[in-house]
Amino acid sequence: MSSHDAAPEGRSLSAGFGRLVVLAYVVFAVSAGVRAGFQVATKFDHAPISYSLSALAALIYLVAAIAIVRGAAGVALAAVSIELAGVVGVGALSYMVRDWFPEASVWSHFGSGYGFVPLVLPVVGLVFLLRRRGSV
Amino acid sequence: MDPFRGWVSVVGVIEWLYLAVQATALALAAWFFVDTARSKEVGRANVVGVAVLEALLLAQLVTSIVLASGAAGDGKAMLFSYIVTALLVPVAALFWGSIDRSRWGIGTVALSCLIVAALMLRVHQIWEYQVNVVA
Repeated sequence: MSSHDAAPEGRSLSAGFGRLVVLAYVVFAVSAGVRAGFQVATKFDHAPISYSLSALAALIYLVAAIAIVRGAAGVALAAVSIELAGVVGVGALSYMVRDWFPEASVWSHFGSGYGFVPLVLPVVGLVFLLRRRGSV
Repeated sequence: MDPFRGWVSVVGVIEWLYLAVQATALALAAWFFVDTARSKEVGRANVVGVAVLEALLLAQLVTSIVLASGAAGDGKAMLFSYIVTALLVPVAALFWGSIDRSRWGIGTVALSCLIVAALMLRVHQIWEYQVNVVA
């Protein structure tokens, strides 16, 4: 046991700064998910890759948020890592193969349609999870 | 009698209310992040601040319901879902943040105010391009 913090019930992953991470992830899961669901239902043929990737991104945000709330650090770390790989990979791909992305998805162009928050979010999550793991 | 005849007055109503919501949300976020830096717990003043924001958002919701009924665009469902989300996020953050003993309790509420600002940015876009359009 380290000396920091004297939380009575032990320090859970979603306490402290974890709350901000979870809040951001839940909001992104909901907004990306609802939007992707709406787009898949109404105009899937228009940009199938963009909309599928948005739905996938939403799912991963949700997994990460639930994992942090439940204290499953390993699952959270995996989800956040996939997310970082996704936003970097899809971001690069969207510049190289423009035809695949007639419509923006959460991850295309490194999340520029969402103020680059999709790029910042996994980095913040990763730093948070690794630091928390190191301090337990 | 249609109380909202003429698009200029309609846009006017939404516009100042929208700006008031944005100014309040950003001011609250700044204030709460200062509280975060000072390691304060969620207090009564913070709750009053969020209540003011909620009142403005409710006014925004009511005005939108009244105005959108006469608009031609097909983005109404999206418009309302964004406004309702904006209404719920700070309240959820306030409850969840107030049971946290660390500085990040109020930090969560601060972030929720930034999220409201982002959501309202989308509301404004949807209103301009997908609801308040000439048929």
